Amino acid sequence: MIISVEKTAKELKVKTPDLITRPVGRLMYSSTVDKLAVIGAGEVVILDFAGIKVIDSSFIDEYVVRLIHDSCKRDFYLKLRNISAISEINIDSVFNSYSNYKDRRIVITREDIGRNNRFYIGPLSENESDILDYLRINQGTTLDDIVNFTGADSLKVKKSVEELMFMRVLKKNNGEFTAV
Amino acid sequence: MSGSAHKHIVMPDRFRDPYIFENILSMQEPVFSKECPLDMSRIAFMEPYSMISFLLMGRNYLRNRGSKLTLINLPVHIHQYLARMDFFESAVFNIPEVLDTNLMFRRNKSSSRLLEITEIPNKERQSVKVISAVIALFRKRAPLILKYWMNDSVVDYFVTVISELCQNIFEHSLDSGYMAMQTYRSGNENIARLVISDSGIGIIKSFSSRNDIKYTEGSELIELALTTPISSKREFGYGLCQVNNIVEKLKGVIYIRSGESSLTAFYNRKDKNSKYLFQRNGLIRFDGMQISISLSS
Repeated sequence: MIISVEKTAKELKVKTPDLITRPVGRLMYSSTVDKLAVIGAGEVVILDFAGIKVIDSSFIDEYVVRLIHDSCKRDFYLKLRNISAISEINIDSVFNSYSNYKDRRIVITREDIGRNNRFYIGPLSENESDILDYLRINQGTTLDDIVNFTGADSLKVKKSVEELMFMRVLKKNNGEFTAV
Repeated sequence: MSGSAHKHIVMPDRFRDPYIFENILSMQEPVFSKECPLDMSRIAFMEPYSMISFLLMGRNYLRNRGSKLTLINLPVHIHQYLARMDFFESAVFNIPEVLDTNLMFRRNKSSSRLLEITEIPNKERQSVKVISAVIALFRKRAPLILKYWMNDSVVDYFVTVISELCQNIFEHSLDSGYMAMQTYRSGNENIARLVISDSGIGIIKSFSSRNDIKYTEGSELIELALTTPISSKREFGYGLCQVNNIVEKLKGVIYIRSGESSLTAFYNRKDKNSKYLFQRNGLIRFDGMQISISLSS
């Protein structure tokens, strides 16, 4: 499913191109959750931010972070599209703070390459980043393939892959892994 | 101060920057204790931080005394400037001398290198509307306000800064505040200054329930709030920290004053291996939190 964030904002009569403040985040979240009522298990939901310039930390906390939590509970995957540079910076800052203060990390994948030269936003290790990049190109890969690619200890790789799956940036189908 | 009869208090020309404005704050006691007009005749220049702090001072006087401070002998150019910035819209001061309409600055495109003083309410719903309107106006005027720094990312950075700081007013200060922005020339420099200030509970009271956050002086707490994602209301916060990161990226200057303490970060000096963070404590008490962010070229 593709959700146009700008269109959702317009439906709610929220002024664009900037989506700021907690109340706006809450309003957008509740409308997006309604739209997600029809999605199936394991589906990828693309949040398309075309037409949106700035999303601030309050909005990110109420909208993106809450949707990430929901994706774990309801078994779907999130992906961002058309994220502006400043929005990427703000998301990264929120995710880093979150990960420093909570005992879990949050990360989200994106369609287009970001300022970090990666296809995700959030605090991943170099090793995890490499696995994610490898799986973006080599869809449907086994754990052995990933071990061979990284050259790292298989237990370590398995742990990284499990972490990436827990963060909902990696999918497993019939024993094969693909990046979201 | 004027003669022994205290017919009026002469305000010195100390409205040029946040540090010099401390002189005006040190006059709060005589200003508040003597019910007499303030003679503004010596003021040659007024920048946005001093203007908004003075407005807060007037509002404090009105709240404490139930009457308005009277400003007299406003030089015409200062009167024109204050009227253009909507300083008198808050109706905090008595201004017996009326500025002739012909002398008022015209509100045309070329005089729009500024955001007029806007009150940021302390109620979430109203505040969200005001912040959204301020940001829409800023986007419209940004090519003029940020003429010397102009690119799309600078505008987006400032949208984030305005949004974060204005939200802090209704989330933490328990009072309304004011914001304004202006580009002006000082000597050979062009300065863009954004000011967002309130006279609320201030940073120390705001963090009073967080016993886990250790600091010895107010300026230390300001630095902590600026450099680490702490929050007085939630487990952690992002706003002020993100603002600080942006000011650093833009190589600007951020000045934060709260209660009796202040902190200045000169990110324009950071690369030169010189000291760039300056803490001050034991200043004249001035309630709330006052923030100035400047870029210079």
